[in-house]
Amino acid sequence: MEPKLRVENLSVWYQRQPALKHVTLSVEEGEVLALIGPSGCGKSTFLRTLNRLSEEQVGVRVTGSILLGDLDIHQPQVDVTQIRRRIGMVFQAPNPFPFSIFDNVAYGPRLQGAADPAALRKIVEQSLRQAALWDEVRGKLRRPALALSGGQQQRLCIARALAVNPEVLLMDEPTASLDPLSTAKIEELVGALRGQYTIVMVTHNLRQAARVSDRTAFFLDGTLVEVGPTRQIFTAPQDSRTEQYLTGRFES
Amino acid sequence: MGRGRRLYGLSAVLAALGLAGFALVLGSLLKSGLPILTWHFLTSSGPGGIGPEILNTAVLCAIALVVTVPLGLMVAVYQGEYLRRRSRRVRELDHLRATLMSAPTIVVALVIYRVAVGWWHWPVSLMTGALALAVINWPFMVAVSRSALASVPDSYREASLALGASRFETVIKVVIPAALGNLIEGIGMSLARLAGESAALIVTAGVNVSQHWSLWGPGETLAVHIWYIRTEGLVSGRDAEAAATGLTLMIGISVVLWLASRAARLFGRSQGGYDGA
Amino acid sequence: MSMPSVTDRMPRRAAGVAAGLFGLVGIVVVASLVAGAWPMLGEPRSVANLIGAVWDPLRGRFGMAPFVVGTAAVTLAALLIAVPVALGAAVTVVHQMGALMREWTLRVLAVLTAVPSVVFGWWGLQMVVPWVRNRVGGPGYSLLAAGIVLALMILPTLSLFFAQSLGQVPKVLREGSAALGATADQTLLRVELPVAMPALVNGLVVGLARALGETMAVQMVIGGQTALPRGLADPGATLTTQIFTDITAFPPGTAGHAVLDIMALLLIAAMYVLVRAAERWGGL
Ligand SMILES: Nc1ncnc2c1ncn2[C@@H]1O[C@H](COP(=O)(O)OP(=O)(O)OP(=O)(O)O)[C@@H](O)[C@H]1O
Ligand SMILES: [Mg+2]
Repeated sequence: MEPKLRVENLSVWYQRQPALKHVTLSVEEGEVLALIGPSGCGKSTFLRTLNRLSEEQVGVRVTGSILLGDLDIHQPQVDVTQIRRRIGMVFQAPNPFPFSIFDNVAYGPRLQGAADPAALRKIVEQSLRQAALWDEVRGKLRRPALALSGGQQQRLCIARALAVNPEVLLMDEPTASLDPLSTAKIEELVGALRGQYTIVMVTHNLRQAARVSDRTAFFLDGTLVEVGPTRQIFTAPQDSRTEQYLTGRFES
Repeated sequence: MGRGRRLYGLSAVLAALGLAGFALVLGSLLKSGLPILTWHFLTSSGPGGIGPEILNTAVLCAIALVVTVPLGLMVAVYQGEYLRRRSRRVRELDHLRATLMSAPTIVVALVIYRVAVGWWHWPVSLMTGALALAVINWPFMVAVSRSALASVPDSYREASLALGASRFETVIKVVIPAALGNLIEGIGMSLARLAGESAALIVTAGVNVSQHWSLWGPGETLAVHIWYIRTEGLVSGRDAEAAATGLTLMIGISVVLWLASRAARLFGRSQGGYDGA
Repeated sequence: MSMPSVTDRMPRRAAGVAAGLFGLVGIVVVASLVAGAWPMLGEPRSVANLIGAVWDPLRGRFGMAPFVVGTAAVTLAALLIAVPVALGAAVTVVHQMGALMREWTLRVLAVLTAVPSVVFGWWGLQMVVPWVRNRVGGPGYSLLAAGIVLALMILPTLSLFFAQSLGQVPKVLREGSAALGATADQTLLRVELPVAMPALVNGLVVGLARALGETMAVQMVIGGQTALPRGLADPGATLTTQIFTDITAFPPGTAGHAVLDIMALLLIAAMYVLVRAAERWGGL
């Protein structure tokens, strides 16, 4: 089967400083791919090139290609907003807009011109259900999003991303700022979304990677060391550096 | 690029428009004023010289600052260090300060004219002008001091208080030194504002320079001079003289602000404080 | 707050006295104006006189409408010109400049906020009045000229406040919007401006207060006519310029001076309302 995303020979520099070097990696349709590696190894950088968020910053240079289906998304003539609708993102700390719960979820559809209240309400409800938040916020959709708990806010951000119907979901340490209970909920949610969406998730929590992902990629110093089925990476890594990292012999 | 960035383009056009406006102001000021801006012009008195006006401006600003810097700081210390945060008195003082600060200076002049000239029989003079400037600047100094003190983290205060220091010792030894950079920057800003004041001084300090300089004699300042010769004066070449006076004033103000920001950096100005109201 | 210690008693009292004096200044300002205005405020006939449109002190007609209208027109014109330009400048500073350029621009803007108003008045006489005379007609001295001059005068203040407001919008919100497929314009309109709105309102109020209270820059170019203006190209007068021109013409104690005190009270009341509005809707 054709992979959903095919990254080839990707390199990224901040000013002159290389952050990613010749990364080649494929993501299969409907799988959950975990990205692990020590702090500063380029996981976030990698994720942010997948939806071209990297170019919002000055001084970032990207070479190589990223194919979404057969579209090379870093070609200059490609409309970046189209790419970002197809590839959604959830950030490390929940970042809901300081609007109502409803307006947060409706934000993406409205960008594309959706204005019909009934249709919007349907999209909002469906997205909140998918993000396992509906039962907690039904009837309170006009409340400010910032009044929700951290875990709820993060699920709201997931609902917000789902509302534009993306094919791929990028998650950068989505539970890093949450308590264990909220973390468990998000993990459960990721499990439920698997298959329907292609998910690339950065995590520092190795057990989380082991619990939720189908495959795992290990990054070190801007290079991809190895990628493979999660079970195999965790039990029989091919590269000694992966083993060292997993057994805690890197400072993190 | 380009797609969906039309507002950015529009913004750049608008910004260029604003820039062009200021280029016109500064350009015409330079064009008219620079040719006659000589040492003689700066130092001599009488027509074709602004020596006395420079002196009067400096004296008025100096008196007003000497009076209002300590007074402003004291009010701010009382509000910020002695009263409970968010207490009613703090809010009332804040309202008073904000209202006085935005009150037109001509209104202050109206009050000073009645009180000092009318009731106390002060002459229209440098002293009366200095009083007006002090009243104008006090709320500004309170605002400057308030935000400078507020920029000092509470942890500093707590650390000092925990060591057994009194509130006062904490303010003197910890809070004010930590706020010094911002204070100096704000004082520079208020000095620049005072140097440019005209309406209130025309009424209280007059439009003449006296032969025998005295604090109780009339004292025309640079800003007043610009207005006077341009609108009331009958001298030939008044445009040029007004422009040269304006240039002198602008250069003085720029130097003050530059020195203040240099000094402020020396004393560790904290970030993000370009809010000179 | 803990018990005041012994060494705190004196300094606390001194600071309290300073604050009391400060309050006294406020009281004296308002009280002296009220005292001066009292003879005119007392009787109903003079109140009708005051809100009229005819200003003819020699005949005892003290209608303030021309000045209220003049103040409103000039302030509104200034804001209509300055607010869009300042917003544009702010967007440019925040989004289209490198860090170094941005820092310098902000520093220059801060210096420009301190340009004395007479300098703007001088420029108005030099360029704006002739321009209005040639392009719009009339004597050139006009509400329009005053509005243009004021607009330029408040532009640095507004730009600085607006740039600061937009700059405070958290980057994660902008990125969150971009990640949902928003264009730069959409993010600006739908996230940055709404999120920055309280701070923007604050800046707007500061600019409004400056425009409302400005005297000299306006006085130099407005023409000083006391009849009710019929258009922006007409000469006119504002509350502040009228106080300025008549303050020495009517000595304290006369009816004319009392009317000036009333105008001053109006201005102070307006400022107080603005202060409270900024507190209510602004981001302070
Ligand atoms: N905006 C930036 N400008 C310059 N260098 C950057 C920038 N962002 C990241 N870097 C550098 O690029 C490298 C990779 O950073 P990145 O954020 O991708 O790491 P990461 O693997 O996500 O780390 P963490 O686990 O701490 O989130 C680091 O050395 C970092 O210092
Ligand atoms: Mg990261």
